[in-house]
Amino acid sequence: MSPYVTTILTLSLFIGTCLTIFSEHWFTAWMGLEINTLAIIPTTPKNPRATEAATKYFLTQSTASMVMMFAIIYNAWSTNQWTLMQLSDNWASIAMTLALAIKLGLAPFHFWVPEVTQGIPLLTGMILLTWQKLAPTAILFQIAPHLNMKILIMLAILSTLVGGWGGLNQTHLRKILAYSSIAHMGWMIIIVQINPTLTILSLTIYIMATLTMFLTLNLSNVTKIKSLGGLWNKSATTTIIILLTLLSLGGLPPLTGFMPKWLILQELINNNNIMTATLMALSALLNLFFYMRLIYASSLTMFPSTNNSKMQWYDNPTQITMLIPTTTVISSLLLPLTPLFITLS
Amino acid sequence: MLSININLIVAFALALVGVLIYRSHLISTLLCLEGIILSLFILITLLITHFHIFSISILPLILLVFSACEAGVGLALLVKISTTHGNDYIQNLNLLQC
Repeated sequence: MSPYVTTILTLSLFIGTCLTIFSEHWFTAWMGLEINTLAIIPTTPKNPRATEAATKYFLTQSTASMVMMFAIIYNAWSTNQWTLMQLSDNWASIAMTLALAIKLGLAPFHFWVPEVTQGIPLLTGMILLTWQKLAPTAILFQIAPHLNMKILIMLAILSTLVGGWGGLNQTHLRKILAYSSIAHMGWMIIIVQINPTLTILSLTIYIMATLTMFLTLNLSNVTKIKSLGGLWNKSATTTIIILLTLLSLGGLPPLTGFMPKWLILQELINNNNIMTATLMALSALLNLFFYMRLIYASSLTMFPSTNNSKMQWYDNPTQITMLIPTTTVISSLLLPLTPLFITLS
Repeated sequence: MLSININLIVAFALALVGVLIYRSHLISTLLCLEGIILSLFILITLLITHFHIFSISILPLILLVFSACEAGVGLALLVKISTTHGNDYIQNLNLLQC
């Protein structure tokens, strides 16, 4: 693609999210989300799978935009104001919650996430699963007091369960990361009314870990578990990075990924939602299982390969690995800084 | 809340159901999306004239601009699908099944 087109599309993506995050009027927030949707569609390549993925993405996101616009207009009819933090009407807030759930890919509106993530290249999928989550989460953060807790709990528990069970039967890595995204969005949604800062914290740590995963997979362009099996030969350090990041995504204690889960469970228990907290914690085990399968395939066992020697003697790295060490450190070593993040709330 | 609003909300709901339930062609989904946009446009215009808030008179126009862009992108994707598959049947979009 021509560099002018790439510049315009990247700028539009950036501007769309910034417009939504910094807006006070509902209309500018809606405009930012529309710009985001329109800007990412031309970045997909021309093969049939990518076209199909782009069509499914476009249909779901535009339906969500229209439902969101309806919620905004209904709220304007009954309360006569357009401020982003006041979504006082009950039906408007329910419609807005469902529209944002479609945008974020929460269950039961999750069906587009695995298929769309599968059809597009790794780096576009990375933008889809990380950057496109910022704007709707910012809106949810701001309308948090007006949301309906019952709907939030239903969305969250369904998402974690679907994200866990759906990823168990997958061999394509992009679909696995898509189901991981669905499950993590469930964790973020459940706490948005009780302590919205934890939503932002959870989103930030999830974005760091997912960035690491996608960038690492992009280095050797692996997209299936079979290709992961040959990674020990080409670059053994990549397997260590995948191990650390996946364990962090699964929420195991000495790594950073434990921090949001711990704080969310603590806030839920402080509010007497013990059954919810138990269900969420148990469903995180499902996620951990298929992460362990990936770690088993890449680092813990050596799959047979065509190369008989243990390591490549001639190592000529040509890829730029600029962001990977930073995001790996952030996604694995930040647990001792938990008191800092608690005081931010 | 005027009585015309019930009419428009039913129109919105019908068009939304038309987007969500489809028979065979992709273009009928895009048409129902346009129906949603039309009902939202009329809802905003009625809001402006009923409450006399002429400061936001530009809002229906901005809605129309963004919806036209979206319809254009939808049609471009429809053309691309027709190029690869030959028709716009939704049952053909099954390349990415689990």
